[in-house]
Amino acid sequence: MIKLYDVSKTYGKAKEKAVDSLTLEIGSGEIFGFLGPNGAGKSTTIKMITGILIPDSGSIEIDGVNIADDPIAAKSRVGFVPDTHDIYETLKGIEYLRFIGTMYGVPEAVLRENIDKYADLFEMKGALGDMVGSYSHGMKQKLSIIAALIHDPQVWVLDEPLTGLDPQSAYRLKKLMRERADSGNTVFFSSHVIDVVEKVCDRIGIINHGKLVAVDTLDNIRQSDKVSLESLFLTVTGEGE
Amino acid sequence: MKKYLSLVKLLFVQQYKSRASSERDGRKRRVGTAVLYVILALCFLPIALSVAVAIYYMGKVSGGDPYICMFLTLMCQGLVFMFGVHAIMSNVFIVKDADKLLYLPVRAPVIFLAKLTVAYLNELITTFVTVLVILLPFGIGAHIGAAYYLLLPVALLLIPMLPMLLGALVAMPLSALIARFAKNSVIKTVLRIVIYALLMALYMYIVYRLGFLTGSENGNILDNPEAYAEDILRELTEQLSKVMVYFHPNYLLVRAMTGDTFVRRMLYLLASIGENAALLGLVFAVSLPFYRAMLGMTADSGGRRRMSGYNVHSKGTVAELMRTDLRRTVRDSQMGFQSFAGLVIMPVIVVLLYFMMGLADEGGTSFIELMRVSPLYQAIAPTVILIYMTMLNNGTNVLGLYPISRENRSIFMLKCLPVPFGKILLAKVLLATAVMAINSLITCVLIVALFGLKWYFGLAMLCQMLTLGFGSMCITTLADLKCPRLGWDNFNQNLKNAKNSWLAMLVALVCAVALAAVSAPCIVLYALFGGWYWLLIMWLVSIGLGIGFAAVAYRIMKGKAAYHFGKIEV
Ligand SMILES: Nc1ncnc2c1ncn2[C@@H]1O[C@H](COP(=O)(O)OP(=O)(O)OP(=O)(O)O)[C@@H](O)[C@H]1O
Ligand SMILES: [Mg+2]
Repeated sequence: MIKLYDVSKTYGKAKEKAVDSLTLEIGSGEIFGFLGPNGAGKSTTIKMITGILIPDSGSIEIDGVNIADDPIAAKSRVGFVPDTHDIYETLKGIEYLRFIGTMYGVPEAVLRENIDKYADLFEMKGALGDMVGSYSHGMKQKLSIIAALIHDPQVWVLDEPLTGLDPQSAYRLKKLMRERADSGNTVFFSSHVIDVVEKVCDRIGIINHGKLVAVDTLDNIRQSDKVSLESLFLTVTGEGE
Repeated sequence: MKKYLSLVKLLFVQQYKSRASSERDGRKRRVGTAVLYVILALCFLPIALSVAVAIYYMGKVSGGDPYICMFLTLMCQGLVFMFGVHAIMSNVFIVKDADKLLYLPVRAPVIFLAKLTVAYLNELITTFVTVLVILLPFGIGAHIGAAYYLLLPVALLLIPMLPMLLGALVAMPLSALIARFAKNSVIKTVLRIVIYALLMALYMYIVYRLGFLTGSENGNILDNPEAYAEDILRELTEQLSKVMVYFHPNYLLVRAMTGDTFVRRMLYLLASIGENAALLGLVFAVSLPFYRAMLGMTADSGGRRRMSGYNVHSKGTVAELMRTDLRRTVRDSQMGFQSFAGLVIMPVIVVLLYFMMGLADEGGTSFIELMRVSPLYQAIAPTVILIYMTMLNNGTNVLGLYPISRENRSIFMLKCLPVPFGKILLAKVLLATAVMAINSLITCVLIVALFGLKWYFGLAMLCQMLTLGFGSMCITTLADLKCPRLGWDNFNQNLKNAKNSWLAMLVALVCAVALAAVSAPCIVLYALFGGWYWLLIMWLVSIGLGIGFAAVAYRIMKGKAAYHFGKIEV
């Protein structure tokens, strides 16, 4: 479960707020799609949820734990897949995963089992012995995905996870997101690919210029106005007719 | 009663259960532990045997003198106490399982009693060994009657009582101290080691004072060993009879064991049991309120919610952070070179210096030899070299200078890990200090060898370099965290004009001035009045200050870590 209450963030000397009074609640067992044009504030929001950035005002709760009060407990419940691939280049894949596992306090046996399971799923087994620096874009992406799951987090946060993945891996990732949500965890991901969002999500939110402009379940959107998600997106972000 | 018993069982068994995650790991660990114990036992067997033999002769010579026996009993208790304080602290007062036990429908006194019992049971094991090695050989040597052996099991049960009381009294303030630092595992560990060493030293001192000093002026042991031993024992007995009555329960117990009539024995025994019971009551009354207070403290601060099932504060975090950091730097050619070049530079400089000053002139004596003749050489040279090396060390250790800039864009990773920022910084400082330590060790060995310094000055220099290095790295790490240079593509390029090496030099300069200020008066006093203790004082004070500096710098760094980490925007 993720709760954001009136969260705002302005970067350094910037004049405009990157995120502006965002209030949002995402329940357990739910896949939430976070949509918005470039520079809308998606990544900024995600960085605040994962504890990378501290909001200027407002509060964020992960599974009932306020990040500001107990950052360690909150962070230990989150698994994060970033949109960049600045993973430690001079580590081997397996060393990176073990490092992450130790940081989250995953017991050795569980760690080995989870690495096995997810590396198999994304066909990364053979590559884990190589340096991360030698990985392709998509391989780094997959490594990030595996690393985010080895401690079995209650909240899984992904920033544009599908860019760079081949169709097969993209399909498996989507399936995995569904599985995790069905077993009671929260999945939160950002994207600008409307098709994907439409297929996977239970609920979506649209952000523009740091403000949340629409939140609803996909069913509601489909039923109410008979509009497509695409036209809704274009309307609320100011591009529509 | 039933609750109490099952609690005792649970707590007692729990400490011997391995915390391994899988059955196979568990077995491996158990086998490992067993092997370790066997090796330990083999190491201690000769000592135990020689002690037993010595005491056998003691028994023989003294003929079962009750005061000697009391002294031996006290020796047993000393050992039990020494090993027991730690056990009492970690088993009873430092309440790790508060959240688990608090939910049980058992009252706190019962839990406390159960914990004391477990501590007692643990002490019984130590007592058993000491009785086996000390009291049993004594009895055999003294040809004491069967009653002694019959009462030995009773003694076994009673001996731990006094150490328990003393242990509880000592453990209470210490536990409070440790609990205060409970959030800092490093300080906690250091504290424990220090406490342990202090207790050990105290024990040694007491044994030394009580027994083995007395006979030293009574002639030569080789002339007449029997008479010599008797002399010592007579004197010892005399002295002991004055002291031992203060350990009254022991006095009664030994009287019971060595008494002459059955009735007397029984009376003494009952009295001893009574006194010990009273002691136990006292322990209980004194420490229960304290236990409650500690429980409250732990439960309050331990209000942290359950994690996602894993223990996030696992022990290996710092080590793993260091290992990963080391791997990354070593494998990156640029960073690797920058970080480890210092390892080579310092020793090379030392060797160069030696060749500059150490080569003989026409007269056949070298500069170093000339200086070494001076009585002040050993006093001044280490300090001067230390100052010089501190400057060099601090300015060149890139690992300690740019620990955060080194992270580059992947800094976000560190920020989303469920690890306190203070710990992350500690790992970085420790890594840099470890590399510097190797460097310093090589340098110090070279200096001692080439420049003819006394080895203990080399050691003192090494200690001081470590404290100063650690402290100044805390400062530079914090400075780098304050305004890191992130987002670079070329590490060398990025380091150009970075102000941190200047800061490090400045810190080193301040350290150097402080070192000189502390050392100079002592050296002057040494030069004026002689006396090695001036130098001892000098090093003790300066290393003490060094440790203080390191501790303060670490605290500042740790205190500011979260704030500055929070401000980094990526
Ligand atoms: N490190 C930074 N420093 C200063 N400003 C930043 C930084 N990162 C983002 N911004 C600004 O904050 C705003 C929101 O950026 P954000 O990265 O959250 O957008 P986004 O929705 O993730 O966009 P995209 O779809 O391109 O990933 C933008 O105006 C951007 O310029
Ligand atoms: Mg983004």
